[in-house]
Amino acid sequence: MEEKVKEIMSLIFNVDIEDITEDSSPDNLENWDSLRHMNFVNALEEEFDIELTDEQVTEMMNFKLVLAVLKEISPSSA
Amino acid sequence: MDWMQELEKILNNVSLDKSASLISAIDKADQLKEGFDVTLKIGVLRNYTIEGIEPYLKYHLYKSGIKAEVHFGNYDMILQEVMDPESHFSKNKPDLIILSLKLESFLPDYETGNWNFHDVRGQLSELLIQVMNNVSGPLVINNFISPFYSMNGIIGDVAENSNQRRIQRLNSFIEDFAAKNSSQVMLANWERIIRKLGEELSIDYRFWYSSKSPFKKDFLNEYAKVVANIGKILAGKVKKCLVLDCDNTLWGGIIGEDGMDGIKLDNHEFPGKVYYDFQKSILLLAERGILITLCSKNNEEDVMDVLENHPHSLIKRKHLAAWRVNWKNKAENIISLSEDLNLGLDSFVFVDDSEIECDLVKKMVPEVDVLQVPKKIYLLPSLLMTHGQLDTLTETNEDRQRTILYQTDAKRKEASKSFATIDEYLYSLDLHAKIHLVEDQEVARVAQLTQKTNQFNLTTKRYTEQDIQQFGKLTDNAVLSLTVQDRFGSSGLTGVLIAKKENSTGYIDSLLLSCRVLGRKLEYAFVDYCLKYLEGQWSIAKWMAEYMPTKKNAQVANFWSEMGFQIVEQQEKKSIYFLDGSPQQIIDTTFIKINE
Repeated sequence: MEEKVKEIMSLIFNVDIEDITEDSSPDNLENWDSLRHMNFVNALEEEFDIELTDEQVTEMMNFKLVLAVLKEISPSSA
Repeated sequence: MDWMQELEKILNNVSLDKSASLISAIDKADQLKEGFDVTLKIGVLRNYTIEGIEPYLKYHLYKSGIKAEVHFGNYDMILQEVMDPESHFSKNKPDLIILSLKLESFLPDYETGNWNFHDVRGQLSELLIQVMNNVSGPLVINNFISPFYSMNGIIGDVAENSNQRRIQRLNSFIEDFAAKNSSQVMLANWERIIRKLGEELSIDYRFWYSSKSPFKKDFLNEYAKVVANIGKILAGKVKKCLVLDCDNTLWGGIIGEDGMDGIKLDNHEFPGKVYYDFQKSILLLAERGILITLCSKNNEEDVMDVLENHPHSLIKRKHLAAWRVNWKNKAENIISLSEDLNLGLDSFVFVDDSEIECDLVKKMVPEVDVLQVPKKIYLLPSLLMTHGQLDTLTETNEDRQRTILYQTDAKRKEASKSFATIDEYLYSLDLHAKIHLVEDQEVARVAQLTQKTNQFNLTTKRYTEQDIQQFGKLTDNAVLSLTVQDRFGSSGLTGVLIAKKENSTGYIDSLLLSCRVLGRKLEYAFVDYCLKYLEGQWSIAKWMAEYMPTKKNAQVANFWSEMGFQIVEQQEKKSIYFLDGSPQQIIDTTFIKINE
């Protein structure tokens, strides 16, 4: 799952996969703005066939937190 | 790798079901700089968050080779954006404007029902008029989505003043507004998109309440398609001609094997009615000016026999601009049709049931748009209706007569073969040209010609009806039209010259001729007459003109030199020409009678 999330982040935020760390967030990724955050949410939902709640959407503001949210939803795929 | 291949490679990676693939492809395509012959600037005025539409808009335009720049006006600052000439929106001078209004933002308390219909309609009318009058390009508006739920219960929903019914009346008002101002205003029919997709696929309540961003990607995609199609038409990327296979496309079965009685085309049977309805959709396009041609591996007599004698064949020989019914390779046949009709290959749409034929045409003539007859045959009737590029923004008399005009051309071509020299032939035509300042009833056709003409077009500037009307009103501007007739019949309005006066110099903004009237030296007579006429009107004796090269207009690269102009500056994107004094008629056009 980690790799898949990195791949999606790399596509949506236009960064190299190698540059994505635990702390990658809107603060250090130039393209991670509120609009691309919505695209990111859509992309995760498409990829993992899930629906994120509004709380989860506002919570997942760095790579580590994204993984935490996804693991919470489907612990088995973690 | 050239840019076109690169762009295609980028777009081929997109699956619209995967947002990440789309976003990433658009980022990459935005980096491509070279190669695009058109850039379309789209300005979006809105009262809610609609930024998510940008990648979809760009995707559909990139697919037609158009580079799009999308600029969003400030959130809910529509009038400020359009009325302030210093606003970012105004300075950006968009070629196409989207006014995107969401009812919930326009009328925040609409659910309560506490609103006065006349007041709200008045505010809406005021807003639409102000925007229309303050922007200078085509404007795409939308109707409202009526409520998914009744706020007033079962009985209240049908009451005269229910929200449902009042919103429908607002929509009628919006649609009337678009119809009345059709030279500038177009409608993106949200109600139709919603009907097609439904609430589930259209509305994102989560992002609506958290970010004022109400639409899901399927809705954004459909909305973007409507706008992109308008953009494509404005950019001259239009389809003009259908090339249709016959067996299992125009009718079910194979005429050479099943015979007249065996093929399926009966209006009262399945699958006959499917083909019958498909033919109906083709005739509707023919009425709107799309040329119909056939390309079929068959005996010509068999096919013509069906068209003329099958009781359910709606398409008749008289509807065809040309046909290639033979056993040759279809790609070659399409190329030969394109030469015959003098239309670029990229204005053709080819329809065939055979995957092999479709692949062959895609490979050998990639410019042609290829549509394969759906395996689910009952989807055939909607195939052309959902295409979008077989459309025009205006309807003119020329559209309705186009097939006849092309058929007359075929007769002309036939006749030309009996003359030893081209001059003898031209003299025999008895050519009459009418040249005058554009008249009101010609405005739509003139705008359409600027949007559709690619080959004989010196500057390829695209104008709307509204632009042409504006030029007509200004004293230092002139729009002249050319209408041609010869012994075979009329060719209609087929030439346009737009000029401006700046101090004591005349400046030729646009010169274009429909490909239908080329090869008769009309362009020389037309320009000569226009320049002399305007010199008299404006008391000037100096002219500036330009040639702006595109992928399509190489044939006119030397036109201004042929007219006696001197080249003063040659740049990559334009060459500037100058003429001191009246044009000298270098080329003999005495066989053309002007305004007689």
